[in-house]
Amino acid sequence: MLNFSDPTVVLTWLLSAVVFLPALGALILCIVPGQSDKSIKGFSLFITVVVFLLTVYMALPAGHSASVGHFAIGTAGMQNMVNHAWIPSFDIRYFLGVDGISLPLVLLTSFLSVLAMWASWPINKNIRAYCALFLLLETGMLGVFLALDFFLFYVFWEVMLLPMYFLIGIWGGPRREYAAIKFFLFTLVGSVLLLVAMLMLYFASDVSRLSEAQRIACNLVGPRGTPHTFNLLALMEMGQMQNSPFGHALLWGQSLSWWAFLLLLIGFIIKLPAVPVHTWLPDAHVEAPTPISMILAGVLLKMGGYGVIRVCYPICPDAGYHLAWLVSGLGTLSMVYGAFAAMAQKDFKRLVAYSSVSHMGYVLLGIGAWSAIAGTNYRTDYWSMAMNGALFQMIAHGISSAGMFFLVGVVYERVHHRDLDKFGGLFARMPVYAGISMIIFFAALGLPGLCGFIGEVFVTLGAWNYSKTLCVIAASVVILTAGYILWTIQRVYLGPEYKGPHPEALTPMTRREIAIAAPLVALAIILGVFPQTLFQYTKPTVESMVVQKMADWTLRTDVRHSGSEGQSR
Amino acid sequence: MDLNTLLPRLLALAWLLPLGSFALIVFFGPRMGRAGRYAAHVATSAIIAACVLSFAALGLWLFQHPLTAGHGAHAAVAPPHLSDDWYSLGDFGSLRVTVGYYIDSLTLCMFCMVTLVASCIHVYSTGYMHGELHDVFDTFGPTEEGRMIRRRGRYCRFFQCLSLFCFSMLGLVIAGNVAMVFAFWELVGICSYLLIGFWHERKSASNAANKAFIVNRVGDFGMIVGMMAVWAGFGTFSFGDYCGSGRVLDHGQVVVKDRMMPGIFSQARPAGNVEKVRVPDGMVQLAARDEVKKVVAAAYRQHSNASEAMKSLSAEKAVRRKVGEWREQGYGYWLLVVGGLGIFCGCVGKSAQFPLHVWLPDAMEGPTPVSALIHAATMVAAGVYLVGRFYPVFTPEVLLVIACVGCVTLFMAATIALTATDIKRVLAYSTVSQLGFMMLALGLGGWLAGMFHLFTHAFFKSLLFLCSGSVIHACGTNEMPSMGGLRRKMPITAMTMLIGCLAIAGAGIPTVIGLSGFYSKDSIIAQGLSFWAANPRFGGLFFYTAVCGAGLTAFYMFRLWYMTFAGNARDGDVYYHAHESPLSMTVPLMILALMAVVVGWNIPFTKLGLEPLLRQAAPLGIAEGASGGLLLPGVHMPAEHLAHEHANAIKAELAAFGVALFGFLAATWFFGLRKLDPADVCRTFPRTYRFLVRKWMFDELYAFCFVRPVLRISGWIAAVDRKGIDWCVDGSARLTEAIARFDDAIDRVFVDRAVNLASQWTYALGIRLRKVETGSIRQYVLWLAVGLVALVVLTSLFWSNAVAGG
Repeated sequence: MLNFSDPTVVLTWLLSAVVFLPALGALILCIVPGQSDKSIKGFSLFITVVVFLLTVYMALPAGHSASVGHFAIGTAGMQNMVNHAWIPSFDIRYFLGVDGISLPLVLLTSFLSVLAMWASWPINKNIRAYCALFLLLETGMLGVFLALDFFLFYVFWEVMLLPMYFLIGIWGGPRREYAAIKFFLFTLVGSVLLLVAMLMLYFASDVSRLSEAQRIACNLVGPRGTPHTFNLLALMEMGQMQNSPFGHALLWGQSLSWWAFLLLLIGFIIKLPAVPVHTWLPDAHVEAPTPISMILAGVLLKMGGYGVIRVCYPICPDAGYHLAWLVSGLGTLSMVYGAFAAMAQKDFKRLVAYSSVSHMGYVLLGIGAWSAIAGTNYRTDYWSMAMNGALFQMIAHGISSAGMFFLVGVVYERVHHRDLDKFGGLFARMPVYAGISMIIFFAALGLPGLCGFIGEVFVTLGAWNYSKTLCVIAASVVILTAGYILWTIQRVYLGPEYKGPHPEALTPMTRREIAIAAPLVALAIILGVFPQTLFQYTKPTVESMVVQKMADWTLRTDVRHSGSEGQSR
Repeated sequence: MDLNTLLPRLLALAWLLPLGSFALIVFFGPRMGRAGRYAAHVATSAIIAACVLSFAALGLWLFQHPLTAGHGAHAAVAPPHLSDDWYSLGDFGSLRVTVGYYIDSLTLCMFCMVTLVASCIHVYSTGYMHGELHDVFDTFGPTEEGRMIRRRGRYCRFFQCLSLFCFSMLGLVIAGNVAMVFAFWELVGICSYLLIGFWHERKSASNAANKAFIVNRVGDFGMIVGMMAVWAGFGTFSFGDYCGSGRVLDHGQVVVKDRMMPGIFSQARPAGNVEKVRVPDGMVQLAARDEVKKVVAAAYRQHSNASEAMKSLSAEKAVRRKVGEWREQGYGYWLLVVGGLGIFCGCVGKSAQFPLHVWLPDAMEGPTPVSALIHAATMVAAGVYLVGRFYPVFTPEVLLVIACVGCVTLFMAATIALTATDIKRVLAYSTVSQLGFMMLALGLGGWLAGMFHLFTHAFFKSLLFLCSGSVIHACGTNEMPSMGGLRRKMPITAMTMLIGCLAIAGAGIPTVIGLSGFYSKDSIIAQGLSFWAANPRFGGLFFYTAVCGAGLTAFYMFRLWYMTFAGNARDGDVYYHAHESPLSMTVPLMILALMAVVVGWNIPFTKLGLEPLLRQAAPLGIAEGASGGLLLPGVHMPAEHLAHEHANAIKAELAAFGVALFGFLAATWFFGLRKLDPADVCRTFPRTYRFLVRKWMFDELYAFCFVRPVLRISGWIAAVDRKGIDWCVDGSARLTEAIARFDDAIDRVFVDRAVNLASQWTYALGIRLRKVETGSIRQYVLWLAVGLVALVVLTSLFWSNAVAGG
């Protein structure tokens, strides 16, 4: 039955393995009784490593050899698509695929999962449940990044929610119930908005509007019982059409696509998170155990940005064009607000959490700046730069924030407090730890040669054409960032002596801890010095699928507008 | 190998050697000999090798581009240079951010200067940092209870940072584009941060390190804004022309082709029009956004049948045709001004110019060799270097701002230096003041004068710092009032420092010969005078400030020397323990002293020297000076050669010589011969004195205006999160909970009660019916019979009714 010489079958198994292997692992953990804690952890780590290797396999450049599943660098569109029927009556399909936007995030997810799993070694409460939930979470995250069917996307989005709730609520700190419920409710609100927008788009979609060639390109296959579709690619095509099926007026003079965009945007920026819907983040981080914080900051926040890029803009370009000020404005607001809030924190983890808010603002600014500059030179290069910068910033932040949370965890593990005023002198006591911390913190600060710099600078440089004011505000954040990060370093690592409790527990980093931090440091340096390693994946996709198509769209709209103005005059 | 490929490779090797040394020391430092003793050898040999390579490269360059007497003065071609990209950080269509190089004689001079000074300082540091080889009792960094702490020595960490710094600094110099300059700009900043905070146990040191970095970041903020303007306007960061890709029409097809693209310099000073800065096309288009829209829409309507690519290409063409016209109307000029001012902002931070000068004096918390290398000779001069590099892009308005900033800085810092008693702080303020001189010269149109002073200053200021380090090493204190008479104990230091003082004061015989500072300072003052002649209404201000600054320089430098070395010992204890430093420290002093004397001279009987070398790199379009800014049309920066005309030069030289002599004599009168007590002067002008001692109150002002408000705002914002947003979130949760309770109450009061009532009734009925269940057969049979009869009666009744109805 299984014919492995058929590439479709191999692909199906490969992508399904990436997504469902962790879930399978979780299942095995649940039904196989009586292992030691150590073997449970080892097994889970093994699963995450296997998944990571599979994703690395997916990311290897496809050469001339016919090996299936490699990534064709330089190709813009979706690759390695897998499309099977799931619920035919609503045309809901098991539709997966990767392109230059999702692949780096898939890699980041599987990579951070390995590190976070390994960082879970000190956890010893109810290991079996912890590992099972962790693995289930990984399935949800990978599924979100790989799904190309909107319904499937939504399902994975929800799948990831519940394990996170329990991981915070059971293994968290003293206020874990509050934090878990807050996280859950915030995310649920987002999910509901997502659901509403999804159904709006579904019922407005009309496959018959697409040409035969477009249908093939979108992988719309098989006999159809309904004109509607959840196929994300098809929805994008429809959204970018001249007379989009989403273009009709819905409410208060705004079109359906405008409302869908707004609902989706709110849903996604809750996850990102952007001010003012960010307050779940500090609480969730403070209470979550270290590995979960790593996943939360490193991967979960990226889903918001990914959603905006993958869903919001391509499907509702019209609204994106008119609401660009909102998106980039929220981004800039988050940057400034997060940086100020970070400066006032006394809790180490809370500070890092707010710095995440600030840094993810760059992503929003980069994405937002994307849509509206067409009025000037009709050059898409600056858009492309800002967009690529935003994607880079997501990955860079994934590395630096996961690193920062891990490092906070290392010292919390030893002295069991996070009060910034009660540290100091760690440089003398834990020199390796302090050195690694400095590199990771400088990466977050945006020091050239480390990953944070590229994302921030590319975003601001690219966005200048869109709005000079926002860019100037964004640039001013570098001062605040330097302020709170250097102040933190001073309070924690410098100074004559450690001022808090348990000074005797401040032992140097263990080998395991160094081994977890070292890849993050190495990646921060590699991406900072050779950002092309990442751009070669993202650029073709961003340039063609997003920018080129969107540029054409904006140009058409713009010329139409100014044409009608000219005639009316 | 071709010289054009060999030269960049030589310099690249010189650049990367310190990086290699850094990496080696990071991984193996502590294992290099006892306490990392050999880390110093690794770092020192790397930098000396880099120095040799740099000089070799300079030799090759001179072989290829011999100096010609008049080059740069009237040339309309770009100065000879090599530029190319090594690799790309990211390219998006026609935009590309790269790592590359731009090499001209200025680059080479900087390479030689940086590596030479750094070599001296590395050697010096092996002696100076000797104490870090053992465990250290830090007397300056006690714990909160006042306990001394004992810590490990950090000998190899010092050299590790020093190597990283040399790498970053050389990268900054060789950088071929603005982005790369910025990247290394930040890296030198972080090295400076690490080295200022080298003794981070001391609160003052870590505070100073933070201050340095954050104040620099304020400048960088401006620089980022400038970079954004440049990036959007020029479409490139490259200084020189570069090989890029562009869309061209080929046989009716739009294709992307590689071709030479103009760099920033060529765009700002296009061939045939080098005298005036030209606003690049991109900036014009950006500023004329609405006009562009109209033109494009028209072009699209006109070519409505063509393909999309053709349409956009023809629209581009239509726009390009109109650009010249828009430029004439002044579109985009202000963007160029913003770009220039932004870049200069970065330089203000790095070169510690007013109003961002406050970090440099505090940076003296670092070890003295660091102060000499980073905070005197190289990094702080990077700002001046960048102004010099970016010179062709500055409009006259920007130049005037530069001159004003330099002017204020040089005067303010010189006055503060008069009252400082910490030997290193005097030198720090002196550095700020000298950097102000350079900025002033550059701003007034004296490119060569400013750059020349950069080099001479690098040598004599690093010499002065190392001498002060030698003194501090011997005395264990920075305070000059407890020194005195040290010339007898440390003659070499005293002599070399005297040479340094003479050099910085600009000692020499007018029109004949002098120490290095004599030449550079004179040409700055000459430029000021010539600027005055060109702008009679306000130009005198700059000239008088420069002259006054020169006098103050001579005064505070000799004050320092007299207080330290002359007279009798003021603190017997300090004097008793003082000793001449070891050879590893005095040899670099002697080398630098030699350089401080001769660096301004040409090699006898040749035209070879620093000044002709720099002149070769003089940027395009400065030959005729700068004038005709759109915003300030009245300002005219005179051409540099005018300053060297005899009448002007002699006047300037005499003025400079006169004030320097006056300053020297005054210092001698006060501190050397002690004819007058300086304390009397302080008592006569107590307010001025206090104002100067408190450094013009800048720290207090900034704490009041910036630091505290930022902290307060951050507190507010954190409170908004907790009390505002979270209050709403928690409130809505509580509201939901309240609704749920209400719901629950309704359930309990109405629904549940109804259900319960029903059940109670049923129950009661059951209880009653229980009595029926007696267990007696007879009674049951009776009930059965009754029931049967009742059933029959009922059925018959219904039946008949049904029949009747039917």
